[in-house]
Order: sequence, then C-alpha cells, then structure tokens
Amino acid sequence: MASTVMATKPIALAKASPSLSPRKISIRAQAKPSSTSIPNLKRLTSKLLFSVPSIAMLAATPLPALAEMEKAGLFDFNLTLPIIAIEFLLLMVALDKLYFSPLGAFMDARDAKIRAELSEVKDTSAEVKELEEKAVAVMRAARAEIAAALSKMKKEMTAELEVKLAEEQARIELELAAALNNLEKEKEEALRVLDAQIDALSEEIVRKVLPTT
Amino acid sequence: MDVISSSIKTYNIWFEISGVEVGQHLYWQIGGLQIHAQVLITSWVVIAILLVSVIIAVRNPQTIPTDGQNLFEYILEFIRDLSKTQIGDEYGPWIPFIGTMFLFIFVSNWSGALLPWKIIELPHGELAAPTNDINTTVALALLTSVAYFYAGLSKKGLSYFEKYIKPTPILLPINILEDFTKPLSLSFRLFGNILADELVVVVLVSLVPLVIPIPVMLLGLFTSGIQALIFATLAAAYIGESMEGHH
Repeated sequence: MASTVMATKPIALAKASPSLSPRKISIRAQAKPSSTSIPNLKRLTSKLLFSVPSIAMLAATPLPALAEMEKAGLFDFNLTLPIIAIEFLLLMVALDKLYFSPLGAFMDARDAKIRAELSEVKDTSAEVKELEEKAVAVMRAARAEIAAALSKMKKEMTAELEVKLAEEQARIELELAAALNNLEKEKEEALRVLDAQIDALSEEIVRKVLPTT
Repeated sequence: MDVISSSIKTYNIWFEISGVEVGQHLYWQIGGLQIHAQVLITSWVVIAILLVSVIIAVRNPQTIPTDGQNLFEYILEFIRDLSKTQIGDEYGPWIPFIGTMFLFIFVSNWSGALLPWKIIELPHGELAAPTNDINTTVALALLTSVAYFYAGLSKKGLSYFEKYIKPTPILLPINILEDFTKPLSLSFRLFGNILADELVVVVLVSLVPLVIPIPVMLLGLFTSGIQALIFATLAAAYIGESMEGHH
C-alpha cells in the first residue's frame, strides 16, 4: 500500500483507487522497486495527506479514464451470468437427450425384464413340483403292484412246496416202515436160528463139561 | 516492502509460473457489455468433457455393462437416489436438472484442480475452474431459485404463496428473507470454497513447490466434490420442500 502511494505516476495511483475494487492480492511486482525505499513516518504521513485529495479527484473522474482492466475485482457481475445460465440449460437438455433418458430407459427395461424372468422362474418351479409329485405317486403305485405280485407268488410257491414236502414225507415214512418191518423179520429169523443153535450148543457144553458117567 | 521487492527480483521466474491474480479477468466485449472470457472458455471445456464422455460411454448399452457404461449407470443411480430422497415420488422430471447441476459443478471443480490450465497463457487473467467466478455460482443459484419457484407454482398454483404464512404469519418476513438467503448461501458457499482452495494451493505452491502442497490439493479435490454434492442436494431439497404437503 505504501509503495503504491509513494509512486506518483497517475496509472499507479489509479491502480490504487480503493473505493472501486478490493485490494489485489497480487504478488507480482507492481511499482518500480527503486522507488520503494523504506519511508520514515513523517514523509509517509505527509504523502498520505497529500495524496488522499488527489486520489479522491481521480476517483471522481469518469470511468474510461481508469485502465479498463483494473476496475474489476472479485464481485464483478456482467454478461457472463446469463451466458452461463443459458449454457447450463442447453447442457441440461443435451444431457437429458443423450444420457439421462436413454440410459434410464435402458436400465428400467433391464430391471423389468429381470423381474419378469424371476417371476417366471418361480411359476415353473411350481409346475416342476407338481410333476415331481406325480412321478412319486406313480413310483409308489408301481412299487405297491410289484410287492403285491411278489407276495402272491410267494404264497403260491410256499403252498406248492408244502404239498411236495408232505408227499415226500409220506413216501419216506412208508419206506421207513417197510424197512423197519424187514429189519424186524430179519431179527426174528436171526433170533430163531440163534435159538436153535443155542440149544445145540448148550447140549454140547453140558456133554463136554459133565464127566461121562 | 524492501524485503519483498528484493525477493521478487530474485525469484522472478517462479513468480511468472506461480503467480496468482485474483480479480483479474480476460475481458471480451459484446455490445456494451463485458464477459469474463476465461470463465466461458473453461466452461466450454467442461461441457465438452461431459458430452464427449457421455456419448462414448452410453453408445451401445449392453445388458451386462462395460466399464464406462457401468460408471455412468452408477452416476445415474446415484442422482436418482439423491433426487428421490429429497423430492419424493415425483422426482422423475427433475433428474436432468439435478443431474446436470451435480455433474457440471463436479467436473468444473475437478477440472480446475486437475487440469494444467496454466500452460495456456492468456493476455490477461488466467484459466481456472469456471466455478471460481461469482457469475457462475450466482447463475447456478438463481437457476435453482427459479427451479423451486417453478416447482411450487406448477404443483400448487397460486396457493404456493400460502407457505409464507404457514406456521404463523409472524414468520412472514423471515420466509421472504429465506427466498433471498437461499440463493445467496448456495452461490457463496460454492464460490468461496473453490476460490479459497485455489488460492491456498497457489500460495503454497509459490512458497514450497514440491511435495507440501499435495495434501492440500487432495483435500481440495475432496471438498470440491463434496461441494458439488451439497449444491445438488440442497437444490433438490428446496425443490422438494416447495412441492411437498399438497395432498
């Protein structure tokens, strides 16, 4: 601030007109460095008192006298505002046509398709269950049939077998009885023969043993 | 002063690269009115980035998305969720507005932080994020104001103005004041955050150019993303607030 006040060139003073723009935070070199020797306080205050009226006078001069570039600041509203607004609206329309609507519609269609397929799958699974149950019932019926046939056959077979068994047993008994009879006869025969022999033998023994008198 | 001027002389080359000029703009003239050209140029770049990336990524949508399409689907879902939370069930027509708000501010802020704008030297002023200019942020805030007025009026008609005396008529001045503070706070929040972040980074870079500014730059990326989200969320909240409570 002091350096710009010290420099007496009108352009430099115009740069420093504080009433119109906030202080530039520029760290670019502004005034000539040589003129900014460290002032002492008295010179500074006298220069300030001297230059304030001149600054006021310059500020009073009409706008074109100041360098156009320097009147701007941070809060400089101009035609840029409506232009940006129009650009934004055009961008909104363009993005809607190119991106939001087509991609949105595509995503929604895909979601709907997936949902439809999911519900379809749920339906066919009910059908599948029905078919499964039918199959199970058929299997059960078949098995029952087979079991019935099997048991019937078993009964017949066992009946036959029993008949045959009884026959054989009867035959065997007959043969056994016959064999026993034969054995009895032979035993009696043998006993008779033995009896006769026993008699004879006992006579012999008695004759032999008893002294002959 | 003497110390500063001598250091200016010594490190002049570095000042040329890392000087900051706040309040300096590149002026174009249309008719009798002026334009901040650097804001326009950077906003065109931001719009170009947005449109080109959208066109490339969303060209043939596949059922199983590719990487780019997946990213943009995620962004769209995020915006939809944001709008639905704030506005309610009638959020459909407002998605382009909220989405463009979010994307424009986000890409602007990040372009200002990430793209090497300083390479392009302007005759006056410098290129930076378009949202570091008060015109941009006030334009977006005014658009938000118009949007929530339009939302309320189109839904409720003239009975929209009953909301000014809603809880009690004593609050009428405050409710009127709110219509001014809403855009004011929106614009200044965004403007202050972005400009201040830029200034901090530039000053740090001019002092210690190598590694030290990096955490501050990362913080700047984070907060500028958050600011985009906040702006979009508040815009949606104001729209939702003016549309609510009818039936």
